[in-house]
Amino acid sequence: MPSSSSGVLVRRILREAGIGLALLVMVLFFAAVAPSFTTHENIANILTQITINLILATGMTFAILVGGIDLSVGAVMALCAVIAGTVLKQDSLSDPEAIGLGILASLLVGMACGGLNGFVSSFWGIPAFIVTLGMLNIARGGALEVTNARTIYDFPDPFNAFGTMSLLGVPVMFLLALALLGIGWLVLTRTVFGRMIYAIGNNEEAVRLSGHRPLVTKVLAFTVTGLFVGIAAIVYMTRLTIANPILGIGFELNAIAAVIIGGTSLSGGRGSLVGTLLGAAIIGVLANGLILMGVSDFFRQIVTGVVIILAVILDSYRARLSLRG
Amino acid sequence: MTEPHRAPILRLEGVTKRFPGVLALDAIDLDFSEGEMHALAGENGAGKSSLIRLLAGIHRPDAGRMTLAGQPYAPHAPLDAIRAGVRVVHQEFNLLPALSVAENLLFERLPRRRFGIVDRRAMDRRAEELLARVGLGDLSPRTPVERLGIAQKQLVEIARALSTEGRVLVLDEPTATLTPRETDRLFAQIRQLKAGGMTLIYVSHHLAEIFALCDRVTVLRNGRKVETLPTAETDPAALVRAMIGRTLAAQAPIGGRTLGRDGGDGHRDRREALRVAGLRPIGAPEGGGLDFAVRAGEIVGLAGLVGAGRSETVRAIFGADPRVSGTILRDGRPVRIRAPRDAIAAGICLLTENRKEEGLVLQMPARVNTTLARLGLVSRLGILDRAAERDATLRLAGELATKLSGPEQKVIELSGGNQQKIVLAKWLFGDGGGASAQVLMLDEPTRGIDVGAKAEIYALLGRLAEQGRAILVVSSELPELMHLCDRILVLSRGHLAGEVARADFSEERILSLAYSQYMQTD
Repeated sequence: MPSSSSGVLVRRILREAGIGLALLVMVLFFAAVAPSFTTHENIANILTQITINLILATGMTFAILVGGIDLSVGAVMALCAVIAGTVLKQDSLSDPEAIGLGILASLLVGMACGGLNGFVSSFWGIPAFIVTLGMLNIARGGALEVTNARTIYDFPDPFNAFGTMSLLGVPVMFLLALALLGIGWLVLTRTVFGRMIYAIGNNEEAVRLSGHRPLVTKVLAFTVTGLFVGIAAIVYMTRLTIANPILGIGFELNAIAAVIIGGTSLSGGRGSLVGTLLGAAIIGVLANGLILMGVSDFFRQIVTGVVIILAVILDSYRARLSLRG
Repeated sequence: MTEPHRAPILRLEGVTKRFPGVLALDAIDLDFSEGEMHALAGENGAGKSSLIRLLAGIHRPDAGRMTLAGQPYAPHAPLDAIRAGVRVVHQEFNLLPALSVAENLLFERLPRRRFGIVDRRAMDRRAEELLARVGLGDLSPRTPVERLGIAQKQLVEIARALSTEGRVLVLDEPTATLTPRETDRLFAQIRQLKAGGMTLIYVSHHLAEIFALCDRVTVLRNGRKVETLPTAETDPAALVRAMIGRTLAAQAPIGGRTLGRDGGDGHRDRREALRVAGLRPIGAPEGGGLDFAVRAGEIVGLAGLVGAGRSETVRAIFGADPRVSGTILRDGRPVRIRAPRDAIAAGICLLTENRKEEGLVLQMPARVNTTLARLGLVSRLGILDRAAERDATLRLAGELATKLSGPEQKVIELSGGNQQKIVLAKWLFGDGGGASAQVLMLDEPTRGIDVGAKAEIYALLGRLAEQGRAILVVSSELPELMHLCDRILVLSRGHLAGEVARADFSEERILSLAYSQYMQTD
């Protein structure tokens, strides 16, 4: 197949690097119009701000790639946080014990909720959209019930310290998010489990007829989404130094937006965590840059909405281009 | 050939329809006289369905022209056909399950009052009239269609076709799902329509029906018209003869090779790689079920008409669909198959009828598709060895002569023949042949594949059998089965109608078995 023509090259760039280019243009634009954008403090600020969304979006990518979605991540994050917070406040435990058990509790609660989402939706063939909408309410109600709608605070100092740690000027929590994303990428691209996720997202019946059990993979994929929610809850608590049952409202939408802007197909089977990283970065840069430009909060939301729609339009072109090869 | 006694209402001249890789209709000239009942007969794939789709406005001819009552007839969409007075009752239902019978019947022209509000009283009244015409007078027009049985749905489809003033009514296998009583009622209705001057085009496998109802019959074969005859001047045996008679490109037959080499009776003493006993797939008729065996090194064909239960049989063996009953033995030992993974573990594979929907992950590379069924062979502790995957893909592509730009080429970019070879590669990966070689079942392995690739796949199946695999092939093309197989099992309406040994192969013999359960009007 001749690939010398510039059209093919343009297509390839659009296909592979479209979002990266968009991020680059955005960064250059803000750097030009808002001088404080490129300061060290501001960049560290952006990285801190996108950390939680990046962790949630990494997990969300698993659910979306397998052909599902998880609307419950914000609410489940609150449930994880208040349960972890309750454990952290146990006077009978030493600080290291409390921190260890608190983290474990958060991860387990997240995985349980995610696994349940995956099982109910795949076993009974109910759209994940609906199941996770139910879970959203269950988890939010559960978090309010556990705490009686009160905020939990006064966690051990070493726990709170993580939220402000930095390494060579880079927030450690962002480095953690990046490391998790890297692990997720390896899992998706290098393991049998990742292969199953992509294959099921593309053609579940062909996978079943090749001798596999799609149900198992789907439940595990949603469990991974829940695991990342549990991690995000802990990181968020260290940053806020509190846990309350109404945190994380609407976070699922930002996470989904990052995944979609990153070029992952909502129908599953196509996309990557590299895209998710870029998508989360675009949302973060956009929010930060618009604030620096003095744009109102309300208008910022409008712009974010437009960007999401533009990204999906771009994606539909990418899909057509990739079909033509 | 006698001249039609009335003027043609619908005339086809040189109508040609091409699909990728297939010439579905080849310059068809055909007249339908006003008020006649005209049957279309032919084997699976002869072009009957394509012809109906052209009449219905679903497809458009690539060449030739159609005239309806002297006017050019070129429907661009089904609605054009309906407006011109041509109604088609398709084999698959096109009903909207959640809506009521009345809404379905009058969907194209709901009676309205002012402001576009549906006049439900008028709608129900009109629906009741239509239902009465197909003998469903006691059915409430408000019943949701999803609550009807299959036969009732079929009758509602026919009633819907009667809802518009039509001049031509096409019925595609209308009795396939009906009981004898319902069939009789339908026939009475059809005769009444005919008496009213309607032109009917009737497609059916039931030769008895054709002779009972129709004035003339046109036989199609391989996209060409063979002949049009008044039914009074022919008989079922002559029709069957007219439907067959293709010849496969001159090529040494595959079937019978191991047979010959082993001295005539070679397969008898070979072990039974696969045996099924009392197998009743989902939807199978009452009775004892199917019993047959495939020996190692043997290619066995499974013939039958559409709906005879061929795909259902291999899918049930593979565990793709649940079965009502039946035991499956592998090398003489019973194996428990509840899902494809059990079958694969027992060394039984199925190349499905729809490679795009069920066989391949189209958007993913050849490498991913090749290793999909045996990821354990290219991974350790769940970590994939991509280099091993690439090697396996290239090795199998070499063995099967698959044209690939590389292991990373997406399967969607390949031709039908090469796609099919990727599916075969998936099943052959990790199976070295020899004593433990597997049972390979193939459902329509050459559908939508060009002639050259077909010959390659035939040769390949011959080699695979020689290596000791047991092969079971489902095909609608008899010449293909006669070319490939050592013996052919014939299914008719879910029953095993008979077995034909290679020495007795003839299309006539096989087709008469395939039709055996349809010959009676029952």
